[in-house]
Amino acid sequence: MRTRFLLGRVLDLALVLLGVSFIVFSMIRLVPGDAVQIMLGANTEITPERVAELRARVGLDQPLLVQYWDWLSGAARLDFGTSIWTGRPVSAEIAAAMWPTLELTLLATLVGAGLSIPIGAFMARARGSGAEVAVRVGAIAGLTIPSFWLGILSILVVTSAFPGLSVLGYVPFTEDPLGNLQRMVLPVIALSLPMLANLSRLVRSAMLDAMGQDYVRTARAKGASARRVTYVHALRNALIPYVTSVGVAVGYMLGGAIVVEQVFAIPGLGRLVLGAISERNYPLVQATILVMTASFVFVNFAVDLLYAVLDPRVRR
Amino acid sequence: MIRTTLLASTACLIGAAAAAQTLDVALDVPPAGLDPHLVTAFNSVLIASPAIYEGLTSIDNDLNVQPGLATDWTISEDGLTYTFTIVEGATFHDGSALTAEDVAASLRRVQSEDIASPLASRIDLVTGIEAVDDTTVELTLSAPFAPLLASLAGIAIVPAEFETDPEALQQTPVGTGPFRFEEWQPNGYISLTAFDGYRVEGQPALDEVRFHFVPESATAQAGLLSGDYDLLPTIDPATALMLEGQPDLNIQTTRDLAYTLIGMNASVPPFDQPEVRRAVNLLLNRQEIIDAALFGAGVPAGPLSPALTSWALDVSEFDCYTTDVDAATALLEEAGVETPVQVRMIVLPRQDARDIAQVAQQQLAAGGFELTLENQEIGTFVQDWRNGNFDMFVSANGGNVDPDLYFYRTFFGGGSTNVFQYADDELDAMLDEARSLTGTEARKEIYDEIQRKLACEGPVAHIAYADLSAAVAEGVSGYTISPIGRIADIATIDVAE
Amino acid sequence: MSAAVATLRRSPLLAVACGIVVFQVAVALLAPWLGFQDPFAQVVANRLKGPNATNLLGTDQLGRDVLARIVWGYRTSLFTCTISVGIALVIGGTIGILSAYLGGWWDRITMRLMDVVFAFPILLLAIGVIAVLGPNAWSAAIAIAVVYTPIFARLLRGPALVICESEYVAGARAVGAGGARIVLSHILPNLVSIVLVQTSLLLSAAILVEASLSFLGLGAQPPTPSLGLMLSEGRNFLRLAPWPGIFAGLAILFLSFGFNLLGDALRDTLDPRLRAAS
Repeated sequence: MRTRFLLGRVLDLALVLLGVSFIVFSMIRLVPGDAVQIMLGANTEITPERVAELRARVGLDQPLLVQYWDWLSGAARLDFGTSIWTGRPVSAEIAAAMWPTLELTLLATLVGAGLSIPIGAFMARARGSGAEVAVRVGAIAGLTIPSFWLGILSILVVTSAFPGLSVLGYVPFTEDPLGNLQRMVLPVIALSLPMLANLSRLVRSAMLDAMGQDYVRTARAKGASARRVTYVHALRNALIPYVTSVGVAVGYMLGGAIVVEQVFAIPGLGRLVLGAISERNYPLVQATILVMTASFVFVNFAVDLLYAVLDPRVRR
Repeated sequence: MIRTTLLASTACLIGAAAAAQTLDVALDVPPAGLDPHLVTAFNSVLIASPAIYEGLTSIDNDLNVQPGLATDWTISEDGLTYTFTIVEGATFHDGSALTAEDVAASLRRVQSEDIASPLASRIDLVTGIEAVDDTTVELTLSAPFAPLLASLAGIAIVPAEFETDPEALQQTPVGTGPFRFEEWQPNGYISLTAFDGYRVEGQPALDEVRFHFVPESATAQAGLLSGDYDLLPTIDPATALMLEGQPDLNIQTTRDLAYTLIGMNASVPPFDQPEVRRAVNLLLNRQEIIDAALFGAGVPAGPLSPALTSWALDVSEFDCYTTDVDAATALLEEAGVETPVQVRMIVLPRQDARDIAQVAQQQLAAGGFELTLENQEIGTFVQDWRNGNFDMFVSANGGNVDPDLYFYRTFFGGGSTNVFQYADDELDAMLDEARSLTGTEARKEIYDEIQRKLACEGPVAHIAYADLSAAVAEGVSGYTISPIGRIADIATIDVAE
Repeated sequence: MSAAVATLRRSPLLAVACGIVVFQVAVALLAPWLGFQDPFAQVVANRLKGPNATNLLGTDQLGRDVLARIVWGYRTSLFTCTISVGIALVIGGTIGILSAYLGGWWDRITMRLMDVVFAFPILLLAIGVIAVLGPNAWSAAIAIAVVYTPIFARLLRGPALVICESEYVAGARAVGAGGARIVLSHILPNLVSIVLVQTSLLLSAAILVEASLSFLGLGAQPPTPSLGLMLSEGRNFLRLAPWPGIFAGLAILFLSFGFNLLGDALRDTLDPRLRAAS
C-alpha cells in the first residue's frame, strides 16, 4: 500500500516536471526576439547569412521538437548546456546564484516560521481583546505591504540613521560571517514579513479550531493548565496545515525572491533568471526555472510525505 | 577603501590583499560578456576599456585623438595609407609580447564574417592590413576616411591567437591594459587586479578594481554613502541632485556625448514629408522636456553634441527650435495633413525616455498628433526599431567623436542604422564629400550645412544632451569624468583611506 | 438583508473591512464625477511639489496631481485584479468542481496540469506570460488569471469532493438528478462561503502582484496612471521629493489591506467551527 502511494506520487512528480519543462521551453520561444537578435542589439550591419550562422552556432536553427528533445535528454543527465552569452556551463551559473537565495530562504523561514507560533498562539488566546485586534491588523498589514516599497524605504531609513553600516549586496558567509549576516537583516525582514503574517494567522485559526474540539475541552476540564492545553494539544493539531504552508512558502522563496534580490543587490536566482529572460538566454532560462520549480515541487513532495506520516488517512 | 576581514588567519593567507587598495565601482547592469569586439553595451565597454584593453589610438577627455598602443603614425598624401608604429615593451596579460601581428590579427578579427563584430563598419574602408615588421602596421583604405584614427580608438587589440575564437574572450578577457581580469561573480561583481607587467612604470596605482552590479539606484546611493562603493561613474540627473551636498563625496559633471532623440519613420505618411518633420520640431518644447524628464540637467540638442567643440553648431542657428504651434499648424495644413493624426510611438525602456515620451505626447497633441505610447521591453524595442516598425520612437544614442561616424551610417540612404529609411540625394553627396576630405576646415563647412538640414527636416528630432555626472567618494584621487562615460584615468586613480 | 446587518453588528472588524473596501471601490468607480483634477494634465513648471492646497498629495515628476493619479491608479488596479481573479475563479472553479464530481482520469490529468502551473513561481510565470503578450494592463490581467487558476481549482476541489461523497448528494443521485442539477443546486451553494473568503484574499494578493508587475514595468503603461508604476518612478527621486513614492506605496497597502481584512473577517464569521470556539 505504502509503496504504491509513493510510486504514484513519484510519477506525478515526474509528470509535473515534464509539463513545466515543456511550458518553459515553449514560452521563452514565444517571446519576440531571440538570443541572436538581442545579442546583435543595434548592430544592423550583419547580413542575413551571418545571422543564420550565429543562430546555427547556438543551435537555434534546429526544428523546435529536436531542440526540445536535445535539451530534455541533456537535462535528464543534469547537463543543462552552456549559457548562450558567456559560454559558461549553465549549471555553474546556477550553482553560484543558488547560495544567496538558499541562505535568504533559510533565514527568512527561520524568522517567519519561528515567530509565527508565539504570535499566532497569542492571538488565539487573546481572542476578541483589543490587543488581539491590534496584532491581527498588524499581521494583515505585514502581509499586504509591498515588499519592494518596504525594501527601498528601509534602505533609506537605515542608511540615514547609520551611515557607515553596510547593509547592501552580498558577501559569502565563509568570507565574512558578520558582514554576511549584517547584509541579510533587511532582506530577511522584507521577505519573512508576509510569511510571518500568514503563518501566525494560520496558527491562530488552527488553535481556535482545536480549542473548540472536545478533547481539548476535556483536557481543560480535567485541570490541565490553559497554557499547556493551547500549546501541546492545539499545536499538535495545527501541525499539518502549518507544515504545508511552510512548505509552500519555502518553495516559493526558493523560486527567487525576485524583487527583494533586485532591491538589495543580492546575486541570487531571481536576478539570474530576470537577466536571462531579457537576454533570451534560452538554456539559462530553461534550466533556472526548471530548478526553481523542481525545488518547489520537491519541497512539497517532502511535505506530502510528512503529511502521510502525520496523518495516516491520507494514504488511502 | 580597505577591506578588513574578521578572521586574522584569513587575513594572513591573503596577505597583501588585506591591505590592498581597491576601487569599488557600482554599475547598474552586468555585462553580457567582455569580448571587446562583440559586446558594445555601455557597461561592458566601461569595464573593458581602458582597464583591460587598449586600442591603437585613444580619446582623451577633451575628445582629441591621442596615441595608444601606437606611439605615432604617418598618413600618405592621398590619405589611403596609414602606417603605425607600435609601442615597445607592451605585454598581454598572458605574458606574451605585443607585436604588429597581434594588431593586424585584431583588425582582421573585427572584419571577419565568422566573428560578426558590430564594430566592423568602423573600419569597413580598410582593405589592406599588413604587419610590415614586429613594430609596424600598415593599413590601406579604399577611399580617404578622415575619422579612421578616432575609429581605431574603439577597437581593442587582443592576442593573435584569438583571431578565430568567438568565445574565449567573453569570459576571460586578455588585453594589454593596466588591469587583468581576476574573477566574475555573475550579478555580483567583476574583479580586475593590477597587471604587474604593465609597460608604464608605477602604474596602475590601485591593486584592484571591483565593479559591483547594483540594479536599484537608491541602493547604489546608499552604498556610496555607507562607504561600500567609492565611485558611481554614471548617475542620472535625479541621483546627482540627491547626492549633491552629501558629506564625503564629490559630484563631477560634464556634457554627455550621448543624446536622447525622437525618431520619425520617413517612409510612412505623414512623416515622409519634410514639412511635417519641421512641424514636429516646431511643436516640441525642448527646454520643457529637459526640465521634466532630466530634472533640468541638460541642454537642447542639435545634431552634434556641444562637447564636439570643433564641429557643433549652436542650437540658436536652427529656426525650428523656437516652439511655435501656429507655424506648425500652418505647415501641416499646407502639407495637406488631416488631423488628428494617429501615431504609434515606441519607447526605449529607460525612465528618461518614458518621461520624454509623455511630455512629447502632450506637446505634439497641440498640433493634432495623437500619440499612442508603447513602452516596450528592450528586446522587442530593438527588433521594432531595427525593422522600421514604428511611426515615431524615443531613444538614446551613444555619441561619436567624429561627425561622420554618426551621420554616415544614420542618414546616408541605405546606411546601416538608417532605420527611418531616410533618403536624400543631396545629403548623400555632402556626406560622401565630407568623409573624403582630410582638412578640418573644409569638412566643417560641409558639416555645418548638414547640421542645418538635419536639425529641422531630418528624420530625427534631437532632444537633449544631458549632464553626465559621476559621484566620487572623498578618498578617490586622480579621477576625472569623461564625456564618453569611461573611466579614462583608471591607471592613475588612487584611493586613500 | 437584516441578517447581513446583524452579522456586521456582531463583528465590528467585518464592518470596518466592508467600510474600507466599499469606500475605495466607490471612489475608484465614481472618480470622474468627484471633481478630481485631470490625472493626465502636465504642468511642468509645477513639478515635484509637496502637498498643498491645490494638489493635496503633491505633484509627480511631470507636474501631474498625485491624488488624481492615485485614484485613477485604483481604477487600473481594481480593473486588472477583478478581471483576473474573476477569470481564475470561473475557470479554476469549474476545473476543481468537475474534477471532484467526475473523478478518475479527468481528475488526475487536469489536477496534474494545475500542479504544473502551480509549481511556477508566481511572479516568474506572470513575467513569462507578459513577455509573450507584450506589457500592458490586459496582459497583466491574463497573467494573474493564469497564476490563480490552479489556486482556485485546488481550493475548490477538496471541499467539493467532500460534498460529492456526502449522503445528500448520493441521495440526489439515487433519485435520478442530472449531473448539472447536482452541481448547481447541491455542490455550488455549499462552496459559497469558501469562495467569498478566498476571492477576497486573492484579490488582496492580486493587487500586490499587479503592483509588483507594474513596478517592474510590465503592467499598465505610461501615461496610464498605475500605483506600481508611480512607485517605480517615484523611487528614483525619493530623497528629493518623497511624496509620489510614499503615497503610492501607502495606496497599494491600503487597497490590498482592505480586501485582506475583509477576507480574514469573513472567514471568522462564516466558519462555524471558529464561531463555536468563542
